[in-house]
Amino acid sequence: MTQHTPTLSPERSELPSPPARARALPFWANPRLGLLVVIVVLVVVFAAARPAFLNVGLTIVPMQSDLSVFVVVGLAQLAALSLGHMNLAIGPTAAFAMFAMGWACQDLHAPLLVGLLFGLAVGGLVGAAAGWTVATTGVNSFVVTLALNFALLGVVSLLYSGVGDGVAFSVHPAGMDTLRDNTFSDYCVGNVCGPPVPLVVPIAVVAAVIVAILYRRSRLGREILMTGANVKAAELSAIPTHRRIVQAHLLSGLLAGLAGFLLAVDNGAFSADIGSQFLLPSFLGPILGGTALAGGAVSVLGTVLGATLTEVVQTGLNLLQFQVEKSKIYIGIVLLLALSLDRARHVIAHRRGGRPA
Amino acid sequence: MTTTDLDEPARSRFSAHTTEFTLAGIAALGYVVLAATTHGSVLSGDTITAILRFLAVPMMVGLSQMAVLAVGQMNLSVGVLTGFTAMASAWLMVQVGLPAWLAVAGGVLIGAGIGLVNGLIVVFTRINGFVVTLATMTIIDGLRFGVHGTGTYQHYSAGLVALGQGAVLGVPDVFILAVLVAVAVAVFFRRAALGRQLLASGGNPFAARLSGVSNDRSLVIAHLISGLLAGVAGVITVALSGSVNATVGDDLLLPSFAAPIIGGVALAGGVVSVVGTCLAALIVRLVDVAQAQYSINPEWVDLIIGAVVLGAVLVTQLRLGRRRRGR
Repeated sequence: MTQHTPTLSPERSELPSPPARARALPFWANPRLGLLVVIVVLVVVFAAARPAFLNVGLTIVPMQSDLSVFVVVGLAQLAALSLGHMNLAIGPTAAFAMFAMGWACQDLHAPLLVGLLFGLAVGGLVGAAAGWTVATTGVNSFVVTLALNFALLGVVSLLYSGVGDGVAFSVHPAGMDTLRDNTFSDYCVGNVCGPPVPLVVPIAVVAAVIVAILYRRSRLGREILMTGANVKAAELSAIPTHRRIVQAHLLSGLLAGLAGFLLAVDNGAFSADIGSQFLLPSFLGPILGGTALAGGAVSVLGTVLGATLTEVVQTGLNLLQFQVEKSKIYIGIVLLLALSLDRARHVIAHRRGGRPA
Repeated sequence: MTTTDLDEPARSRFSAHTTEFTLAGIAALGYVVLAATTHGSVLSGDTITAILRFLAVPMMVGLSQMAVLAVGQMNLSVGVLTGFTAMASAWLMVQVGLPAWLAVAGGVLIGAGIGLVNGLIVVFTRINGFVVTLATMTIIDGLRFGVHGTGTYQHYSAGLVALGQGAVLGVPDVFILAVLVAVAVAVFFRRAALGRQLLASGGNPFAARLSGVSNDRSLVIAHLISGLLAGVAGVITVALSGSVNATVGDDLLLPSFAAPIIGGVALAGGVVSVVGTCLAALIVRLVDVAQAQYSINPEWVDLIIGAVVLGAVLVTQLRLGRRRRGR
């Protein structure tokens, strides 16, 4: 029942030796191109309907901050999807990692960077623990991370009930507010100022680039993909599949922690509700971007584009005075249409460029 | 992920039965411990009635998820669909002015209709059911809010609420309804040809097709039943609470998975356990009761449920592993 049809495109990290007929797929069968076209069309439509959509201070800058969070959330899910696994615990993992960071900054007076590294380490450890459980027991990752989701939700609330007002840390490590409020246009060399890009954006970009390089170029990433495509084949090829499963989940937890950090910067506080809205966006980005649930193939660029599409729809509808809840109707419809079009494009492309019948 | 072992079905059925016994034991033990440590307060008629009254909705959403797990699919829209059908049937009573029984039927039918749409999209687009219901979950979430915004419906039908609060010999009406529905679901999967076909499709789609079973039909029907049961959960919520708003169903999605998974239902499809799912819902309910009785921090409930989910699955896995090695 899997619809895992291999395509060969530059952005898509694929296992080696794709079938010959996949090579014949025309360029317009590339789902990333379709996404890009849809995004451009929507931006033009929204900008025509509400010129405020292109307002730098009101729309463009906050959109980039939001987008940074959701790109990293999507990448966290992508790390699990690369194995054909899922991570339902991304939200609570982010909350737990940010509790650790808040605690380190408040009670140990750790500077921002040290606190962040500690938080990321905790997130990675949580992910690794989930991965280890999946690898050693053979229980479905869906179940393990579902249980982890419940458990961490409880743990995080219990932990926060022991600090301050019970909801958030009051600490603001030096640099956190700068990260939140400033854009590169605040920094000038002579008359030349930077673009209106928030300081958090490069963090997400670097994360995306590293993940992309990992899956495309590094041996570790390729072996994770191989494990995701076919565990038995990977094992027979002398790949330590257990370790690769743990590592992919570790990456997922680490990225969840990073997403939590970006959201904490955005909100200006380490609070218990970080990550409570992560479950849906974590799947939207990668799935819109063409990452298969079956594992073995990922698309980092697609995840970025998928998250961008969601963010553009949400911001645009918000400007058109749709309530957030109601705009969800359209996001769902966009998701269904995008996936159906993707399917249709694939079927047509395969028929045209496919084998002689 | 599916095992192509020949005697897999037999073993799975065995394991499902063992799981049911274990769960019944855990539930009984939990109840006895509760009774002993709270000086018998959970033995009083009122407490038992309250325990059972709020068991009806978790049972229905668990069975709703179980129906799609039977064919190896997932339905992420169970939670929001329960909320939407609750809002829709309240809307039918308050805004349209329909009598309560018509509104209840309407709510259930809307649930079934949306389930049918889910199934048709899955079959026609060939997109993974997880992704399809992720999309419809988002849409229904918006619709649920669209019915009445942030407003609350109340004072709809005194008769319906009285029915929701009523009890026969200490057994709540809504619980009796839930049990009847559960029995119907059990009979469907055990005795009805259609139910067996669903399980055949879930267990091994290829073999099912060779035996003349339409896998597409199985998928559509499983989603339809899932939507129908979510609709039942929705109207039970309406009857139980006396007021509903757009947050109904927010906290039901993950529990809907917890109940069948604890109850021994395989994610791969082909195995269902109505008794196991209902017992799992009861155990989760007992954890809630314990939290209230000992007045401990409610956050412990989530932690314990997480531990129970993982524990239940690990025990099943270990037992299967031992049996496999023993052969």
